[in-house]
Amino acid sequence: MTSLPLLQRRYAPQRGQRSTITALPLSRRHYLRNAAIVVAAVILIVWTVFPFVWILMTSLKNSADIISAPPKFIFRPTMGNYAALFFGTHRGGYSTTRPDFPLFFVNSVIISTGAVVLSVLASIPAAYALARFSFPLKNSLGFIFMSFRFVPFLAFVIPLYLLYQRVGLYNTHVGLILAYQLITLPFTIWMLRSFFMEVPLEIQEAAQIDGCSWVGILTRVILPLSMPGIAVTVILGFMFCWNAFNYPLMLAGRETFPVTVGAIQFISYDQVLWGQMAAATIVSALPQLLLSLMVQKYIVRGLTMGAVR
Amino acid sequence: MHTTAVRRRPRRRRFLPYLLLAPALILLVGMVYPFSLGLYYSLTDYWLQFPSRFRFIWLDNYIRLFNTPLFGRALEFTTGYTLVAVTIQVGLGLAVALFLHAHIPGRKVMRALMLMPLMIPPVIAALMWKIMMDSTGAGILNYALSFVGVGPVNWLGYPRGAMISVLVIDTWGNLPFISLVLLGGLQALPNEPYEAARVDGAGPAAMLRYITLPLLLPFIILAVTFRVMDSLRIFDLIYATTAGGPDDATTNLSIMSYRYAFQWYQMGTGVAEAIVLLAMVVASSYVLLRLWHRTAESAAQ
Repeated sequence: MTSLPLLQRRYAPQRGQRSTITALPLSRRHYLRNAAIVVAAVILIVWTVFPFVWILMTSLKNSADIISAPPKFIFRPTMGNYAALFFGTHRGGYSTTRPDFPLFFVNSVIISTGAVVLSVLASIPAAYALARFSFPLKNSLGFIFMSFRFVPFLAFVIPLYLLYQRVGLYNTHVGLILAYQLITLPFTIWMLRSFFMEVPLEIQEAAQIDGCSWVGILTRVILPLSMPGIAVTVILGFMFCWNAFNYPLMLAGRETFPVTVGAIQFISYDQVLWGQMAAATIVSALPQLLLSLMVQKYIVRGLTMGAVR
Repeated sequence: MHTTAVRRRPRRRRFLPYLLLAPALILLVGMVYPFSLGLYYSLTDYWLQFPSRFRFIWLDNYIRLFNTPLFGRALEFTTGYTLVAVTIQVGLGLAVALFLHAHIPGRKVMRALMLMPLMIPPVIAALMWKIMMDSTGAGILNYALSFVGVGPVNWLGYPRGAMISVLVIDTWGNLPFISLVLLGGLQALPNEPYEAARVDGAGPAAMLRYITLPLLLPFIILAVTFRVMDSLRIFDLIYATTAGGPDDATTNLSIMSYRYAFQWYQMGTGVAEAIVLLAMVVASSYVLLRLWHRTAESAAQ
């Protein structure tokens, strides 16, 4: 075995090896290859990151700079949009129509936290059963939980809306938490199951020989050993709730809007408050960007419900 | 996989798993109940403004839908969009995954950066692009395109442009998902076939065609499955950018169902349309998941 990284051996033509552009002298071939890589990398980075840069810039512009054509790259930054967003202060012609954004932010935190806590508490025993017991209906129950990840939300939300109107859950945090756990429950069950299955069976068997009951195995063996996994599940579940838009759009009112629905309120029939909307998108995206740094390694696993490690 | 469990009390053990599943099953009822209610409503003439008209009408909502010209267009847009978007996104995603898997300086940084569009709320991504796609002259996208000779585009203002805009924003947000899933697959591939191929003198293109792609197929199908489901149901992005317009060009089944229920208050027809969409999702997930199982099995051999 050579010490070269895996892929250099696989795809990249090496010195002295046949390559697709054999007609050129060696140094020029390398030069071309490197140039192509740099161009591709630049395109990929600009495509991925530039929208964030531009929106951050827009959020720091005053209203005249925002609508200037051609767009301005050099301008005098102002915190006016953020001030208007959080305090509703009137500075330099900023509209004060949306001083309720802090409330939306708090709503997002309350609803997402509530839904994640609820579904993780219900998922821990369920995931334990799916990971460590064999019983009839096991596969079909597991599949049913999984399939709710794919159901079109409107099939639930329209009847849920009518139901909520009737029982008084419409436009309440409790109602939204109950609706949001429809998003998180399938995810938390499958994620926790995949983490619980990673706990070596030998440890569990040793505990059983020492006289541990199923409660002991869960609380003294599985839970402590999968704490990192539970933390990842909680964070990712929180992030999925934070992203939710469809459920609150139909089940929440002005008092319970989360940031996602709050951010589109800057578009009205007669005008769009671009600056404040940009500031709102930055504020809504920021917790997600910070949290995703913490769980980087697990995001793909989370998005595929444990299918891809 | 063999699962062991508590062995001492066989009788209690038989019920224990169901007991453990009970809390989750109770929450599941919270999904099943509104869903069955919706199934019932889809067979009724439920107008929110005219509760007195409520009556059971069998399949009239579905028949009415299939006779509505807009429904045909929405059905066409839903399926057409899914096919085009998934093809383009998986193709590009594969290219990006192969690129990031190659030995390139700074690929860890690029991998981390790709999480940014992926993890922000889709509706926020839509609003960010809406700002950039502004067509009054202040929009940065048109400004950038003017340097490569593309005239000002009224992105969200005409049917074809709106479709392309939705596709671009959707691709921006979801390309990282496909790339990262396929990258995960590439990193899990065994080494031996490549060594054997190298001994046989195979070039990089042949290795890609005859080794990498067949072995990666289960991951590709998994990514396709997730993307097909989400593209069929796509709602928030369209709602925030075009709201189904202009001229209903970007109205898919979700948007139309939403409008039936929350603009025209025809709850029965709205749910019926959501259930048509559900049938499409179930059918395609059935096919794709079977395909996935088959390829995952044959790749394991």
